[in-house]
Parts: sequence; C-alpha cells; structure tokens
Amino acid sequence: MIFAGSQSVIAQINQWVAPTIDWHALAPELVLIVGINLVLFIDLSLGAAKKWAMATLTGLVFLAAFIPVVTLAVIGDASREMFDGRYVVDGYSLILKAIFLLAAYVLVLMSQNELEEGGYYQGEFYVLMMCSVLGMVMMTSARDLIAIFVALELLSIPAYMMAAWRKRDSRSNEAGVKYYLLGVFASAVLLYGMSFLYGTTGSTKLTDIGASLVDGDLLGLQVLAVVFVLGGLAFKISAVPFHSWAPDTYEGAPTPVTAFLSVASKAAGFVALMSIVMLALAPANSVVRPMLWVLAALTMTVGNVMALRQTNIVRMLAYSSVSQGGFILMPLVVIGTGNAGDSVLRAVIVYLLIYAFMNLGAFSIVIAVARRTRSGEITSFGGLFGYAPGLAVLMTIFMASLAGIPPLGGWIAKFNVFKTVLDAGDTAAYVLALIGAVNTVIAAAYYMRVLRQVWMAPAPDGDVSPIKVPSSIQAALAITAVGTVLLGVLPGLVLRFGDITDLTGALAR
Amino acid sequence: MSLFLRDYLTVVWFGLAAVLLAGLLLGLAAAVRPSHPNREKQMAYESGVDPVGMGWSQSQIRYYVFALLFVIFDVEAVFIFPWAANIERYGVFGLVVMVAFIVLLLDGLVYAWKRGLLRWV
Repeated sequence: MIFAGSQSVIAQINQWVAPTIDWHALAPELVLIVGINLVLFIDLSLGAAKKWAMATLTGLVFLAAFIPVVTLAVIGDASREMFDGRYVVDGYSLILKAIFLLAAYVLVLMSQNELEEGGYYQGEFYVLMMCSVLGMVMMTSARDLIAIFVALELLSIPAYMMAAWRKRDSRSNEAGVKYYLLGVFASAVLLYGMSFLYGTTGSTKLTDIGASLVDGDLLGLQVLAVVFVLGGLAFKISAVPFHSWAPDTYEGAPTPVTAFLSVASKAAGFVALMSIVMLALAPANSVVRPMLWVLAALTMTVGNVMALRQTNIVRMLAYSSVSQGGFILMPLVVIGTGNAGDSVLRAVIVYLLIYAFMNLGAFSIVIAVARRTRSGEITSFGGLFGYAPGLAVLMTIFMASLAGIPPLGGWIAKFNVFKTVLDAGDTAAYVLALIGAVNTVIAAAYYMRVLRQVWMAPAPDGDVSPIKVPSSIQAALAITAVGTVLLGVLPGLVLRFGDITDLTGALAR
Repeated sequence: MSLFLRDYLTVVWFGLAAVLLAGLLLGLAAAVRPSHPNREKQMAYESGVDPVGMGWSQSQIRYYVFALLFVIFDVEAVFIFPWAANIERYGVFGLVVMVAFIVLLLDGLVYAWKRGLLRWV
C-alpha cells in the first residue's frame, strides 16, 4: 500500500521516454533564463560608467517575459500540462505570472536610483532579482512537491543575499543573516513535512496526494505532515507566530529589497500555500482549516497591534504587511465549505494583485522622501503636503487603500475577502470575519497617523525645498497609483479575473 | 503498528547493532590495553606536527572561493555521470538538457574568472 509502484531505479530507466515540452507554455521562464545570462555577461564586460544600462535591460527582460504570458492568455486553452501534470500552465498560473512580472518591473524602477547612487553591485543585484522572479514564475505552475520546493528555494536564496546588499552596513547584514537562518529553518520544516506526505501517500504530485488522503481517516503522520507543511509556508508569508524575522529584516534591508520581500516573495509563499492546500490537502480540511483559522486571526491581530506602536515608517509597513497577510489568509480558511472554491481563489488573487500595487506604491513614496530627508521616522513626513503636494496626495491614496477605504483598490480586495468568508456561513467563519472587521478599524489608526504627519504637521527640520523625484520612481508611482485607483473604481475589471482563475484539478470547488 | 512504521523497525535494529558493536569493540580494547598517559600523548593530533595556537584560529578567506568553485564541478559531476551511463536512452533531449545545465553552471565559473577571483592575490 505504501510504495505501490516501487521498482528498482535501474529498471525504471529502461521505461524512460523524453517528455514532450510545450515551448510556448514555457516561454516566460525561458525568456527569463536567457535574460539572466544576458545581463550577467553584459555586466561583466561593461565599464562602471555604463552600469545604469543593467536596470533598463532587466526591465526589458521582464516586459519581454510578459509577452508570452499575454499570448497564452489570449489563446486561452483550458490548460497545458507538462511532465505528467506536474507543471501546469492554466488560468490560475497565468494571472499570477502576470502579477509577479509586473511587480518585478515596478521593483526595477524603484531600485534603479538607490543602487546607482549607493554604488552597489548593480549587475549582480539584477541577476539575483531575476533568478528570484524566475522562482516565483515557476512556483505558479508547479504542481508537485519537488517542483514547489525547488521554486521556493530559487526565489528565497537570492532574496537572502539581496537583504544583506548594503554589505558595509551592519543592520543590513543582520537583516540578511536573520532572514537566511530562519528561512533555511522554515525550508527544513517544510521539507520534513513533505517527506511525510510522500512517505504516506507514495507520490509527490499534488493531485495524487489529494486522491490518497482520506478525510476522517488521516494517519498520525499525515496530520504531522500537514502541520509541518503549513508551518514551513507560514514562515515564508510571515504569519504570526512565525513572523519574528520580518520586522528586523524589513528594516535593515535596503528599501527596494524590503518592497520586494513584502510583496513578491510573500505572494509567492501564498501561491505555494494555495496550490498545496487546494490540490493536495483538500481532504485534510479538518486539520487545515482550524490551523489556518488560528494563523489568520493571530496574524491580523498581532501585526496590527505591533504596527500601532512603531515610529519608523519601514517598520510600520513591515508590521502592516504582516497583518495584510492575515487578511489574505482569511478566504483560505473557508476552503471546501459549500460553494467557496472559485471565490476563494478569486479573493486571494485579487487581494495579491491590489496589495502589490498599493504596497509597492507606499514603498516608492518612502524611497522618494527618504532620498531627501535621509530618515526612516514617521515624523520625517511632517509637512510633506507643503513642499511636495504630489507625493502627499499619492501617499494619501496608498495609505487609504491599505486601510481599505471605499473608492480605492484596497476596499475591493477586502470586500471580496469578507464576502467569501461570510458566504461560507458557519460560526467559525462569522467569528473570523468579526475579528477581521475589528482589525480593519485598528489598521486605519496607524495608516491615518502617517497621513496626519503628511497633511498637518510642520516639516521637522524646516527644510521646505521641493523634492526632486527621479523619473524611474515617477514611473513606478504612476503605475502603482493608476493600478490602485483603477481597480477600485472599476471593480468589474478585477472580478473578471474570476473567469480565468481555474486551478486545474482543484478538488475543493 | 502500521506497515509504514514497521519499515522503520529495520532502522532501529540497525542503529542498535551499530551502538552495540562500537561499544563492544571500544570496551574490549579499553579493558585489555595498557594505559600510561603523558603530556605528549594527550596533545591534539595535527598531521604529526606539534599543534600551534588555539582551536579557534582564523583561516584564510581565499579558500572559501575555492570551496565554492569546487561545488560547481562537483554538482556537474554528480549529474553528468548518471546521464553519461545512459546517454543513448536519453538521446537528443538529454543532450540539450545537459548542455543547458552545464552552461548555467559554467556561468558561475565565468563570473568568478572575469571578476578576478581565480587569481591568488
């Protein structure tokens, strides 16, 4: 029963046939791989004066990888499966690939000036960033424990180095080391859980695992496996109580890297969580749901309460991103109840998309303002409206969106989450929605505190000369602001994603 | 006991046998051999030379680069040998994949070379 198909490795080789590769479906990944090599080699042969070209080139690679994603979506086949259904390109993976590539492009725009002026290793930075994005793009299609683990490591390992990028700054080093140690620990826990899953079901393919788990008749080891897998992934999405690395890492890392970790890296963790929970662990709902319920409730509450006390803007955004993670977890709690399957996917994906826009926007403002004030304190935003009204208005948009105030994107995201949870209609879901509602109010308090500084307080050092915003950050701000506002006022645009978010083989629908 | 856990019984027996055997041999040796310790004998063994300095000594950081470069070739060998043993079975597909794999690994070597990390400065 355990190792039904076990055969000697030598015997299996004789049955080996070359897998058919769907080149079109793999095109985004292939473009990124070519781009990584291109940037690496061009960087080696360029003089220091021309290093600025690396950012432009990297941005172009991300845009080029976007093209096959669009063509695949336009052709719109049901799904393209490779390697025996272990690597699947379907609506779910395409929309997530698009989110990651778009976020990566905005992040390049945000990093450009910081790296240029700091004299950091620009070529290497972008190569590592592209490797990490490649891992995320692979994660969206991975439907096998091993593929998921490889994608997770591919996206994490470059991120460990990027967190320590200011190598002469001890706080950046601390950020990198903390992230590395806890990340490796989380990977080990995750891998241990995966080994139990494989050991008790005899397969690493998510749908096979889902087919062999029997609800109400789980082995002790299988329960342990579920707990370990969810725990390992909870580190990646910095869910409480596995969040302790996040604030220190976010504060110490260079600000563009913080934006990268809190948006792209976290979203990738959610993608892994979604794929595993919906495809493999759907029959283990009796273990998954209570665990996710506790994680979601704790994450929202603790993240918010800690964010209230922060005086440093980056640290505040770090805790705010922890608590936003709790909101993204909320719909996953009602998986497998009644008709929740489709709307769970839609709620999470829409939230990830809008969260990417508004959080990247907020970090862009922090970068733009910190270029002048050289400070990370919330008080350094005092009087911003007086000398930089444009930035002040944009900051208001992003903060209000993060708080979930109606005409903006963040509101639609939260609305979808609450609707999904309430549709489930059992007591646990109602209580969770209540906790979420209370947390929305608490969150508004610290977002509004920033806005009070921006609009009402005087400039702390009396320096009211206008801020020069570099054109690349202007572009990042434009993209994120348009995304935040547009998705809010035209929610129909967002809800249409519901039509193309089919997760191939999901049992929980 | 489930079939799954039963498989681990082998591991337990194996572990027990290892502990018993090692304990038996070492215990037997300790019982029969003469014991005359002196300062010279209790010194840490360092390739036959008298040890110098403390246990916590700094080592040359340049070796670290070589350790990393060694990994490039080591990983390459681990995957090339099994592929080479069955090369006709894997055919053109295998060749393309292996070339791509080697190129990606050699990226690291080329990078180290162009950055001047291969020079012993």
